[in-house]
Amino acid sequence: MRRWLARLHTLNPRWLYLATAILLIIPLVILIPMPRGSASRATRGLYDAVEAVPADGIVMIDSSWDQGSRSENAAQLECVVRHLCQRRIRFVVTSLGTVFSPEFAQKTIEPIAAQAGYVYGRDWVNAGYVQSASGLAPVISALALDFHTIRQADVRGTPIGDLPLMKEVRTIRDVRLVYVVTYAPSPEWISFITGQFGTPVAFGCMSMMAPNYYTYIDSKQLCGMLIGNRGAAEYEALIRHPALGTRLSMAASFGNAAIILAAIVGNLGMWAARRAGRRGA
Amino acid sequence: MRRRAVWLITFGGGLFFLLEFLLPARTPDWLGGVENPLTPFLPSATNFLIVVSAMAVLLGPLNLVRRYLGMIVRREQGRLEGAVFLVFLAVSIVAASCEGANIHRAFDTLYNALFYGVQTAFFASSMALLAFYLVSAAHRAFRINNLEAGLMMASAVVILLGQVPLGDWLTQGLPDAFQVRHAAQWILAVPNTGVQRAVEIGVCGGAFAAGFRQWLGIGAATR
Repeated sequence: MRRWLARLHTLNPRWLYLATAILLIIPLVILIPMPRGSASRATRGLYDAVEAVPADGIVMIDSSWDQGSRSENAAQLECVVRHLCQRRIRFVVTSLGTVFSPEFAQKTIEPIAAQAGYVYGRDWVNAGYVQSASGLAPVISALALDFHTIRQADVRGTPIGDLPLMKEVRTIRDVRLVYVVTYAPSPEWISFITGQFGTPVAFGCMSMMAPNYYTYIDSKQLCGMLIGNRGAAEYEALIRHPALGTRLSMAASFGNAAIILAAIVGNLGMWAARRAGRRGA
Repeated sequence: MRRRAVWLITFGGGLFFLLEFLLPARTPDWLGGVENPLTPFLPSATNFLIVVSAMAVLLGPLNLVRRYLGMIVRREQGRLEGAVFLVFLAVSIVAASCEGANIHRAFDTLYNALFYGVQTAFFASSMALLAFYLVSAAHRAFRINNLEAGLMMASAVVILLGQVPLGDWLTQGLPDAFQVRHAAQWILAVPNTGVQRAVEIGVCGGAFAAGFRQWLGIGAATR
């Protein structure tokens, strides 16, 4: 038995890859019902912030994710947009991240908005990509002061002033909430939006980046945060619409289980190999 | 002369953004109620930065084209890969430009095939591979050799389980306060937050010093 365990110490990683692939495929193919715990403080904060937006209020969404972080950010964007559509709140979408971001945002939001009967230009606008290679701080600051000068056309090339919704949005003061969803949102949103104008800001980030932002949740500089697929799943439970986040959080369960099992197997193998080595000596 | 001009532009630009941020939007009435004179220029200055950074972004592809064309002309090793890169670059530029201009459906199809079929799929796959690397790293590197490693491993397991429904399922029979998600939240909200604050203070101090040196032109890179 000990010799068999000792072989786990030098297990061929291909067996691990195979086991991981099987574990990740199972929840995507078979829907496994699992209990959903109550929403965390961070998720509840974002939900309450959206609930606090008045019916005639406008929300700004910075959707700066692309294919790399799509597995978590897509669900985070979907659930919040669905909530905004449920409450008939209008929203403007920008992308300060990568040049691909507006396209992913458009593909994610369009079906949800269409299902809710939202009219593009009147109820929602995708203002497209804003080049921020020179630094996020000046771009965020300038966007907050004069949106129309920084972003003069939407993603389709329509002059921004021609869109009915954008006639009501010139500065950040016309917006009730800013929701930034990307791989790792920049804290400069907090400095230049919440700090200067008092507009609440919320983040949607990858679960591995979330520990960086707990300080802002604690100090209430961030009104809320969705942490990976779990945050999206909790939010979907709050709006009573389980969707992509719920499904992907099941897959994340199995992925995390694979990591824990691999660590246990590695340690068992190490201990067994050490004992076998001592006995041999 | 040129270095002095660069220094002047750097210093002036930094001073503009610094003063625009530090000066109040409006002085109190007893000071005259004067609006910040720099704020109206901020959107134009940012547009200038956006244009300059767009030009800088273009430098990358131009350099790559020059390098790979040179490899092909000089018949160096790797010229085949360079040729493939140049062909795909040209095709992508044409497809993306014509897709936006609504010229012909064939360009839309080509664009979708290149972007969603190739680029998105490759990018997502390379990020998905991280899952397998993580599992392999957990097997090889997460070894409990001492107390500190044991504590780190235990906290990692708690957080890994607390962030997914599996943890809720495993501890669903326990009282609410003993469920793993609360333990994970405590670890993230208490010890992690304290350490993050300490790290941020250090990082911000270093970033401030580095930025200050760059702004005043006294850093090693400006000599």
